[in-house]
Amino acid sequence: MLNQETVLEALREVLDPEYPVSVVDLGLIRGVEVEGGRVRVRLTFTSLGCPCTEIIREDIVNRLKALEGVDEVVVEEVFEPWSAKDISPRGRLVLLQLGVV
Amino acid sequence: MLVSEEALLERIRSGRLIEGPEYATEKYLEGLKRTLVVSADTELISAPAYFRAAQDAPNINAYISAMGIIQDELGHAHIAYRLLRDLGVDTDALVFERDPKAFKHPYAFDVPLESWVELVVANAFYDRAGFVLLGDVYRSTSYGPWKRALVKVDREENFHLRHGERWMEILAQDPEQKKKLQRAVDWMFVLTLEWFGLPDNLKRHTEQITYGLKGKTNDQLRQEWMSTAVPLCERLGLKVPAHYEPDLGQYVIDVPFPAEFDAERKEWLFDKGPISWDRVLERWKGRGPANEELVKAIQRGYEQIRKGLKA
Repeated sequence: MLNQETVLEALREVLDPEYPVSVVDLGLIRGVEVEGGRVRVRLTFTSLGCPCTEIIREDIVNRLKALEGVDEVVVEEVFEPWSAKDISPRGRLVLLQLGVV
Repeated sequence: MLVSEEALLERIRSGRLIEGPEYATEKYLEGLKRTLVVSADTELISAPAYFRAAQDAPNINAYISAMGIIQDELGHAHIAYRLLRDLGVDTDALVFERDPKAFKHPYAFDVPLESWVELVVANAFYDRAGFVLLGDVYRSTSYGPWKRALVKVDREENFHLRHGERWMEILAQDPEQKKKLQRAVDWMFVLTLEWFGLPDNLKRHTEQITYGLKGKTNDQLRQEWMSTAVPLCERLGLKVPAHYEPDLGQYVIDVPFPAEFDAERKEWLFDKGPISWDRVLERWKGRGPANEELVKAIQRGYEQIRKGLKA
């Protein structure tokens, strides 16, 4: 069953290229829409100078294309403001262990 | 010194970390500093080396990625110099006043990286060597402050590897770019094999391993590097002078190794057959064509300020 929930579930497996925190826990996903086989993801980044934008975008597309029932993935980069407050408690715990936050 | 050799070795054997000079002997500290200088110099010199090649980035995103990597490398260098400073080393003198030839980074960085293609192969090969070596230090080091600092370093190197692999994949799809890629792989692969140093039959690591400054030997680390670098190239249809030999359970190098290298033309002179490691050490000591330019890029600002203050 393809819906917002299953898409988010899959996105929890897409990790930041540097740290083992998912793009969901990092607070980069700003919306998911599912219409039939078409998935739309609104994506922001931690900064305008993020060196990993293309890698993150590709990882998201590749993961979602592997989901059953997905024909098309559209990633919309929205550049909505991001701050460390957007990291989930789980993500914060991982980053704390790595000495990042 | 506050502890005896026996007390130090007992501490290391029991798996407790060394947290500062007061727990170590002079000999241990000398070994630790030597290892740290190699690591710090390598991270530092990679910044101007990569910066030079990044000018050839194909687009703004690629350029930002390269800048992100360079920024990481400077951060890694900073960590290692900081640890040296805490051990009483004058790091200003070390970084800004040392003769370029006295830097301890691998010879590979003294051969200039001159294009985006060469930069991404460096990310895939050289950063992988750093990843293998520092991973070994992280797992094995008996020096607590370094072990804790390497957690973050290790993660960042991961991104550098991915960047290199991703771009090698992109370039390999285009026949013209693939030729350039092969050309870069041809000179950089063997140079990275050299990076791991003398083979085990010529070098005794007993001391480094006993002190917990290193976990694996040079040859073991070389194998570890090949175990991921060779499959990567094979997957992309790039030729490399090494292959896996199932009977031996290890990778075998298919060209004379070590060999003579023409740094100006970036070519290996395999026809001349294998050379002695003494000859290699001579080449390393003499440093390569980009050595002075890269070190000066780091030292220039410091010299200008010093001159300004004297004026």
